[in-house]
Amino acid sequence: MTAMCDVAFLLLTFFILTTKFRPQEAVTIDIPSSTAQIPIPEKDIMMFQIAPDGRLFFGLDDQNTRLKLLERLSTTYELTLTQDQKDAFRLIETWGMDIRSLPDFLKMDPTARGAFNQPGLNIDTTGGQHQVEDLILFSRQENNNLRIAIKGDKTTEYRHFDKLIQALQNRKVNKFNLITSAKTAQE
Amino acid sequence: MAEMQTSDSGSHKKGSKKVRTKKMSTRVDLTAMVDLGFLLITFFMLATTMNKPKTMEVNKPAKEEEKVKEPPIKMSKTATLMLGARNKIYAYVSPDEIEAGTEITMDSIDYSPSGLRKFIQRRQKEVKEQWGNQDDLFVMIKPLPASNVKNIVDVLDEMTINDVKRYAILEPNDPIDSLIALQTGQSRK
Repeated sequence: MTAMCDVAFLLLTFFILTTKFRPQEAVTIDIPSSTAQIPIPEKDIMMFQIAPDGRLFFGLDDQNTRLKLLERLSTTYELTLTQDQKDAFRLIETWGMDIRSLPDFLKMDPTARGAFNQPGLNIDTTGGQHQVEDLILFSRQENNNLRIAIKGDKTTEYRHFDKLIQALQNRKVNKFNLITSAKTAQE
Repeated sequence: MAEMQTSDSGSHKKGSKKVRTKKMSTRVDLTAMVDLGFLLITFFMLATTMNKPKTMEVNKPAKEEEKVKEPPIKMSKTATLMLGARNKIYAYVSPDEIEAGTEITMDSIDYSPSGLRKFIQRRQKEVKEQWGNQDDLFVMIKPLPASNVKNIVDVLDEMTINDVKRYAILEPNDPIDSLIALQTGQSRK
């Protein structure tokens, strides 16, 4: 009994220390696999997710950068936000909707927000404002070391992917990371 | 561990007539604690994400603004892969000079080792024979709108596997690309 107890708690300690909780995702994405071996950097990531239907989601890993980004967005897009809404934004891992509809989204209570079907970022240049480019620009201005990671579903069509690449390249980002899961090369 | 050695060697001294208090058992029932331990282990095992996702670095050629004149690459050193819908690749090699009678053969291949990998290895061999170094091969990857992210990852992966030194993701803007797109019934833009 004693030995078993020891082993059990040893394992428990191990799992508690190594575990990293899966962040709540706005959409489920089934990533493709590759033989690439480079692990994702631990911090300073700007993550774009592309759902199979082409909806685009955005996320920053650092909460302070998120707040600074929101600050910039609210001046550019003339959003009026309460402290509660800002706090809510600070905790959102990924989101995807027209920037102008953010305040309404942040007003919801957390459960409603989780159930809300987000329409994806507005990537079109209608209205003369390229929202995705603004996101890229502002985030990078707030944190210079940001790396750009793209998490695309296996089945996402290239045309959706290409729109994002165009936006990135318009902001002079020519280097980015595709997120894949590991596999070994088949013979 | 859970029991303490309550040695009673002291009590055997001659003539000692200590009043002995009733000994309490120091064994603790661990069953409940172990149960809880295993329950927590199970929880953390299930909640943990074991294999961390990897990344694949992609460098896109910068958009030409100041128009740097680069010497055109010999087409016989290249291979073009057009990624189409339904997991098909249309692979072709442009001739150096296109004349009236030039014929271009287009292979329709898939992403399996016997398809794409064989094609790349064949091209590497051909380039080596013609130019002396297989690293001269330049692969142009041109995804059509209907291809998907997995296709791109697979192709880039194949470049790493076959050790292709030079490749780029480009737009299908060559007249030959338009012809192939037309022939296979896919939109180019």
